[in-house]
Amino acid sequence: MLAIDARDVVKTFHSGLLGRRRTAALRGVSLAVPRGAIFGVLGPNGAGKTTLLSIFATLLTPDGGTVTILGHDVVREAGLLRRRINLASGNASFLWNLRVAEILAFYGRLYGLHGATLRRRVEQLLEVGELGPHRRVPYNELSTGLKQRLSLAKSLVNDPELLFLDEPTLGLDPDISVRMRSHIASLRRERGMTIVLTTHYMREAEELCDEIAFIKAGLILARGTSGDLKRQIRIGDVIALRLDPPHVPWLSQAPGVLRCAVADGRVHCTVDEADKRLPELLRALHSEGVMVRDVQVREPDLEQVFVELAR
Amino acid sequence: MSSWRAELVAVWAFALRNLQMASRNVFLLFELLFWPVVNVMSIGLLTRFLGLSGPEISFVLTGTIAFNTLQVCQLDVAYALLYDAWSKSMKHQFVAPIGVRHLTVGAWIVGMVRGVFVFLLQALLARWAFGFDPLGAGPLPLAAFLAGCFLTAWVIGVLVCALVMLVGLRAETAAWASINLVLLLAGIYYPISVLPGPVAGVAAAIPLTYFLDAYRAHYGFVPEFRAPLRVGFLLAAGYILVSHWALVAAVRRARRSGLLLKLSE
Repeated sequence: MLAIDARDVVKTFHSGLLGRRRTAALRGVSLAVPRGAIFGVLGPNGAGKTTLLSIFATLLTPDGGTVTILGHDVVREAGLLRRRINLASGNASFLWNLRVAEILAFYGRLYGLHGATLRRRVEQLLEVGELGPHRRVPYNELSTGLKQRLSLAKSLVNDPELLFLDEPTLGLDPDISVRMRSHIASLRRERGMTIVLTTHYMREAEELCDEIAFIKAGLILARGTSGDLKRQIRIGDVIALRLDPPHVPWLSQAPGVLRCAVADGRVHCTVDEADKRLPELLRALHSEGVMVRDVQVREPDLEQVFVELAR
Repeated sequence: MSSWRAELVAVWAFALRNLQMASRNVFLLFELLFWPVVNVMSIGLLTRFLGLSGPEISFVLTGTIAFNTLQVCQLDVAYALLYDAWSKSMKHQFVAPIGVRHLTVGAWIVGMVRGVFVFLLQALLARWAFGFDPLGAGPLPLAAFLAGCFLTAWVIGVLVCALVMLVGLRAETAAWASINLVLLLAGIYYPISVLPGPVAGVAAAIPLTYFLDAYRAHYGFVPEFRAPLRVGFLLAAGYILVSHWALVAAVRRARRSGLLLKLSE
């Protein structure tokens, strides 16, 4: 069952005098996100990630295509849909004078919570976001990390079935990012929530997401699991060999070897598939009398995939 | 939860938020105390310098008091969206299942509370310093007059909100400037009969003109209009519908143009 079913979504922004300048933010994006998944949308700045997320969150109306979220049309049934979704962003901002607990209570009321139910929910969210000691602190006195935790806590106020996270760990210290990621993972694990997130951090995507879509210039260039993407992009695996003698000129001509380079006393061979090529190379080296002292196999990380796609 | 209760809770959310913001903002205290007092005192002293008669003083001071009361209430309605635009938190409320009615009505309630406070403050000051009793017309005329001020304030505030959703923060000055158009046209300091013909026609389209006319009748002035209260309320009702529709349309357009996001980043 799908949480998001988007087909040929198009969005163009108009700016300048009389709106003559046009920027195509999305140029026919189709995407299907299964319920209960953590889905990552990756891409360089200006790729259309936030635009796509904003359309899903009913904050932006698409110019073309259809988007069905949790069975509701995102334009015609936006009111019904808003009860079941929520949004948090890394650069979130709230009213500067309101205190942490007041902000959570305000948004709780927008979802109809009141009285004891509202008080209980605010307490739960303060606990979830580890914001209890800061409940009376005005928003403009919070640190970046606390602001982000508040943003995430606010996004859970209606216990959404589908949560959109726009750069949830942007600008956070590494230790806080790790805790934030673990919290996001627990939302799916414990509540079965579907989560769609945009991020610049490959490690975050690799760690959290079941599936990833790479978007660039308003088009989805690739999608799949982290492993799928690495295979699709064909950057190749690296086999690093410490050899005796250290230089084997024919190695770069061997079947499946894309290129070879020598560094740190090792020959680094980029091959199409390490699983297949490693036994072949070892056999060939052995038959030529070359001694293999050490072998390391390294898969490309998502960062390399990103760089390749964003190029 | 029944839908009417959800409606009330959402309205209360915005009312409470405006109240919390107002209670922590020194600038808003100025709106509540400083400007109303300065206006009543300076206009009152001007009437003394010009040697105006008692009824003339009541004419001018009624206008001054109406203007300040209306302005305070109208600003609160405009703050309903301006707070979010200033704090760049617009998207968080529009991702929630609320309508613009919750926003504007909630803010309007706080505006009315603040408006009544400003009215009473000025009334006491006018009676003490210049011998004019704005409460003297009696409870019903007073209630109709205040209702007129607050309904006009709602219309202007909502139109300012619509403007913010159309052009962004460039429209924020409208929150303070728009009320001065009312000052010029609605017969605050003079009867609208002194205005040139076409301008008087415009003045006759402003609800406050009729509420002032009706209220001043209780201080001995001959009304310029027939059944001013009825016309005033009918006009106000029409404008309320139009301004609400304008805001709904502006929000819809902001979702199309991306302005809603720009006001959140």
